[in-house]
Amino acid sequence: MKLILSDKPLNISIENKEIKYIDLSSLKITNCVGCFGCWTKTPGKCVIRDDATKVYPYIAKSDTLLYVSHVKYGCYDTIMKTMLERAIPIQQAFIRIHNGETHHIQRDVAPKKATIIAYGSLSKEEKVIFKELVSRNSHNMNFESYNIIFTSEENLQKTVQNEVAKWKY
Amino acid sequence: MEVLILNASPRAPKSNSKKYASIFSKYCKVKTSYHNISKTNHLEICSYFENYSDVLLVFPLYADAIPVTLLNFFKTLEKNPPENKPTVSVLINCGFIEHYQNDVAIKMVKLFCKENSFKFGSVLKIGSGEAILETPFKILAVNKIKKLSKSITNKKYAEFKVTMPLTKNMFVKASTSYWISLGNKNSITKEQMETMKIEDK
Repeated sequence: MKLILSDKPLNISIENKEIKYIDLSSLKITNCVGCFGCWTKTPGKCVIRDDATKVYPYIAKSDTLLYVSHVKYGCYDTIMKTMLERAIPIQQAFIRIHNGETHHIQRDVAPKKATIIAYGSLSKEEKVIFKELVSRNSHNMNFESYNIIFTSEENLQKTVQNEVAKWKY
Repeated sequence: MEVLILNASPRAPKSNSKKYASIFSKYCKVKTSYHNISKTNHLEICSYFENYSDVLLVFPLYADAIPVTLLNFFKTLEKNPPENKPTVSVLINCGFIEHYQNDVAIKMVKLFCKENSFKFGSVLKIGSGEAILETPFKILAVNKIKKLSKSITNKKYAEFKVTMPLTKNMFVKASTSYWISLGNKNSITKEQMETMKIEDK
């Protein structure tokens, strides 16, 4: 399946049932509290039963994903970052050696072709940091391949439409 | 001179970051003051900045970056800049053996400092930080925290790093035992922890 995860509402029409679109800004998702409950108490399930529990199974299932996020200090801004922190139930506590480094073992998580649309007024330095972040994500979030597209908030809608149009159904 | 220690861990009151901060305070030659960053005390903490020459941010790596607790605090600090701008140092830990997995998060803090005219000071990056304090290698972490403290008090800012001196394979075995023991405390077996199911599906 294909997933579009956005930190703001997008005006896109999706008729294909294979595509799931989630506007995170419309959901109630609180911060991860770092309790490790999803690893050591209720493995695979977050103990905080809010909307994040409906989102991370889609992150796991998707083989093609599009993250749409504002960027701040070279990081995903609050809405997307909060969700990504809450997605750790899709990993195990246990560590493996992956690409020569130690990383968490994934549960039933499909390998992904990821596209990240990063928007905002980003400096050159901020773009470099964000690229490094996504590179690290690729090891920890099962990205088979990834592509980062920087755009302004004004051009966001068009950029998203262009990317989704490239997906073969 | 005084050092303001801010714990930006999402589980600040029960965190490893709190333990690291406590070791820092123990060995720091100047007075320190410790606070957890919570969702509701950002403005209060911004006001503390007026009284300190140095701030030490203590936090874990979260999803390859700074935790959202720190991100949100930075956004408040940016909107409420203090007149006095202390030098900002970092003590970061990650659960992986490679301390360099912390590097991107450190760059984010440096960028915040640059954009908001704070001087960046020292950094200590800890690998295997989830468990190192519970092992005989604790002394290695303590020694580096002492060096971090000295660099800040002497204003000779520098970068330090530490991790368990194990091969990656040995680290994987040690961390597996560590996590099994945490699961067992909740009556959860290794097999249960290894489930491939997500939300029971």
